[in-house]
Amino acid sequence: MSQLSRIRNFCIIAHIDHGKTTLSDRLLEATQTVELREMKAQLLDAMDLERERGITIKSHPVTLKYVNDKGEAYIFNLIDTPGHVDFSYEVSRSLAACEGALLLVDAAQGIEAQTVANANLAMALNMEIIPVINKVDLPSADVPKIQGQLEDILALPAEDAIMASAKVGKGIPEILEAIVQRIPKPRWADYGHTRVLIFDCVYDAYKGVICYVRVFSGNIKRGDKVVMMSDGTQTEIKEVGIFSPRQKPQDELFEGCVGYLVTNIKEVADIKIGDTITHAESPAEKMLPGYQEVRPMVYAGIYPIDTSDYEKLKASVAKLRLNDAAFTYASESSVALGFGFRCGFLGLLHMEIVVERIRREYDLDIISTYPSVVYHVIKSDGEKMEVQNPAYLPDPSEIEAIYEPTIKATIHFPSAHMGDVMALLMEKRAMIEDTETLDADRVMMTATMPLNEILIDFNDRLKSITKGYGSFDYDFADYQEASLVKLDILVNSDIVDAFSSIVHRDKAEARGRQLCEKLKDILPRQLFKVAIQAAIGGKVVARETLGAMRKDVTAKCYGGDITRKKKLLEKQKEGKKRMKQIGKVAIPQEAFIDILKTSN
Amino acid sequence: MNLQAKAVHTPPLGLYLHVPFCARACDFCNFYQEAPRRAELDRYLAGIERELQLRPIERPVDTVFWGGGTPSLLAAKDLERLGNAVLGALPQAPEEWTIEMAPSTVKADKLAVLRELGVNRISMGVQSFDPVLLDRLGRSHLPKQVYHAIDLIRAAGFENLNLDLIFAVPGQTLEAWEADLREALRQEPQHLSTYCLTFEEDTALWVKLQKGQTTKLSIEDESDYYTRAWEVLGEAGLPQYEISNFARPGFACRHNLNTWAMHEWLAYGPSASGQFGGRRWTNAANIDQWLEGVESGQMAEQEIVLLTAESMLADALVFGLRMNAGVDLEELQGCFGVPLPSTVAGLFRDLVEEGLMVQEGPRVALTLEGRLLADRIATAILEAL
Repeated sequence: MSQLSRIRNFCIIAHIDHGKTTLSDRLLEATQTVELREMKAQLLDAMDLERERGITIKSHPVTLKYVNDKGEAYIFNLIDTPGHVDFSYEVSRSLAACEGALLLVDAAQGIEAQTVANANLAMALNMEIIPVINKVDLPSADVPKIQGQLEDILALPAEDAIMASAKVGKGIPEILEAIVQRIPKPRWADYGHTRVLIFDCVYDAYKGVICYVRVFSGNIKRGDKVVMMSDGTQTEIKEVGIFSPRQKPQDELFEGCVGYLVTNIKEVADIKIGDTITHAESPAEKMLPGYQEVRPMVYAGIYPIDTSDYEKLKASVAKLRLNDAAFTYASESSVALGFGFRCGFLGLLHMEIVVERIRREYDLDIISTYPSVVYHVIKSDGEKMEVQNPAYLPDPSEIEAIYEPTIKATIHFPSAHMGDVMALLMEKRAMIEDTETLDADRVMMTATMPLNEILIDFNDRLKSITKGYGSFDYDFADYQEASLVKLDILVNSDIVDAFSSIVHRDKAEARGRQLCEKLKDILPRQLFKVAIQAAIGGKVVARETLGAMRKDVTAKCYGGDITRKKKLLEKQKEGKKRMKQIGKVAIPQEAFIDILKTSN
Repeated sequence: MNLQAKAVHTPPLGLYLHVPFCARACDFCNFYQEAPRRAELDRYLAGIERELQLRPIERPVDTVFWGGGTPSLLAAKDLERLGNAVLGALPQAPEEWTIEMAPSTVKADKLAVLRELGVNRISMGVQSFDPVLLDRLGRSHLPKQVYHAIDLIRAAGFENLNLDLIFAVPGQTLEAWEADLREALRQEPQHLSTYCLTFEEDTALWVKLQKGQTTKLSIEDESDYYTRAWEVLGEAGLPQYEISNFARPGFACRHNLNTWAMHEWLAYGPSASGQFGGRRWTNAANIDQWLEGVESGQMAEQEIVLLTAESMLADALVFGLRMNAGVDLEELQGCFGVPLPSTVAGLFRDLVEEGLMVQEGPRVALTLEGRLLADRIATAILEAL
């Protein structure tokens, strides 16, 4: 028990660029846990994408040893948490592994939407929050303003905030001491049975699945027979260890510890983040709180650009799934794009990351269709169905009602842009619920809006309207009934399935017109005139005509030219074979890519 | 398949002879050509004589075509030697015998020799009557040389003259093109060939285009130049009979009609292409390689294509539809002994519906709009087959 009082588990909550990495580095240095170089190298190996985008997708726990002035030694477990809403469930599980959090705020930029979202999450978990105002030595720092924000937005006492400049090492001793003094010792240690929280996991080609865990009560060691409490799966512990920061095997993990464990389970999909592990012989009765099944919120079709890459893509998504249980896929085919997969993602960022990983790590050229949310459809005959591919939306005559997922959005922006932001929100069918003044020139707005409205360009437009100062975060909210229709694009009267989308009735016409115009620009001229139409439930709402091509002939063609000419014609024929034939119209693959790109 | 095709049709026969020498390369030309050195000329002439022996001609040849290069670069006595070699190999004199001439090489003594041999059609590469455009094309002649050459040709008694013109030259306006056409008509030729300038790889013009030193007309603009020629020449009594060819009635080039109808023709000289006995081939486009083949008796032939009845039908459609008269579908099916696939018939119905084709009885032909799209339609035919 004396051991417990010397353990602190915490995380750092911060917006991108507010100095989280620098602060972590300083804490590592100050505790002389590890040679910095080793740490960097390991993190760099983790994932290029995280580094490039300044986001954390996977947790990076590390154990630090801190000795205070009185010579008392403490074990700090720092859990670097994912920082994006797509991964908010994972974030909540990482937070749940901690008793406290450092809330890092940039002294010049102030509190951003993402900071608020994660701080609220931490408070909901009854965590102790230590505000740290970073970069106080910057000329543009405005400490009183930030203190005001802390009190007004997060109701945190401003006098408790630590002034720091992680870059120059200012405030580091105070932070270390605050971790000891203010963050409670590990909780729930006196529960009568062993309970271990899985807060993340990674796939390892040699070991199988490595679970990142926090032991709340009891202990766990190699050879233990254990139960996954969410579904009763039994398995055996093959290895336990801590992060120092490399994985270092240990004989045993005790209550209060953060570390990893390896079981017989070989697939990430069989491990559930947030699950509780207990001993098979003396099982706990109740799981640790907060467990949820993770379900994809956004779906999109992913197709190889070169149809012969299908098998390679299949292997790639299967491999990705090994390491990313939140990513789902099922094969599907499209008239326009051939064979591919309908993939499920936690959100847009998750989708972007997966698509980018397929491109980079598996060197595949792929195209993704419009992202779609999951609609709940009640048919006239009472049947309920879930639709995540517009192609499967029933005929309007068979639909009683359609429900769409909504989000609760929190938007921070300079008040000068109020008018533009309101207009954007109206356009995106938002219901504004609250507008709060953060300080003299910033406001925070909360609104409920359809998830599908933020799928395409919401964040980009918010950034451009607010000259980059706006920030945005959201929580998934409930399903609401909406007047939704399927918008089809027809080329010479044939529906091109890859361009179909589910849109709000009021926007369908404008979107149809926009798509027709774009297609007219992108499609190559054909032998014949081509009608490009947008239709809702069979009724045409927009139309463009692509004129026929005027000239495709070469002048000189004699006996000596025949062989060469034939070769050229055969080559063109082969080129056309690679195009998608929609009725009489040959559409090059690039046209699909262009249209999907320009609309995304 | 070959046997069957041959059994039902004994086609007219042509003879193409390539003279690979040029005084200099024109900026737009990618034809095989060599600088005319005496020793080379002699080796070439001897090579042709040998090649004519190696490929004996067993049935009457209807048409002879000497192309190049610049056949007229040969001196009168060389032309005579070449002509006698050809005549010696033929069972009987051809009905049409064409020679390509460059204006600056037209001389009275050469013309006299050609007349004597039986050459009865002269095709002259005028390209333009505009000195600025001629210079831009890298041609070595001036307009006045063209006029002089025509006078000499007429004086020598030739009554079947073709002039080649080039259009869509960078800097050439539509008006300038029409002016060229009208100037050509004033020379009262029996035949005109008009070629849209193409930027062939490895030509000087192509290099200029790559370097951004010259520009290319848009496809829409090019089509205006095409149709302008078709209108102007049609009204002047030289109706179009193929994409690039116009003639007074009775003066269409029979040699070329023969090739477009997928009949047979023999090939002599380096880089010449032939189609005979169920195969199509091209002689090596290199005088040394060609000579080596001729001397060893193992002809250096390249791009050999074995023809089937189906491929012949396809080619007869693709190349036949470039002619204004189009093709007789019944005749083609009978000629090659294969039926026309229903997919092609379906395509033709669509083309007729779109106004790109007309059908009268068994005969189909492209309309003006259709001819402007002849390549695209050809691709569609190959897809449908």
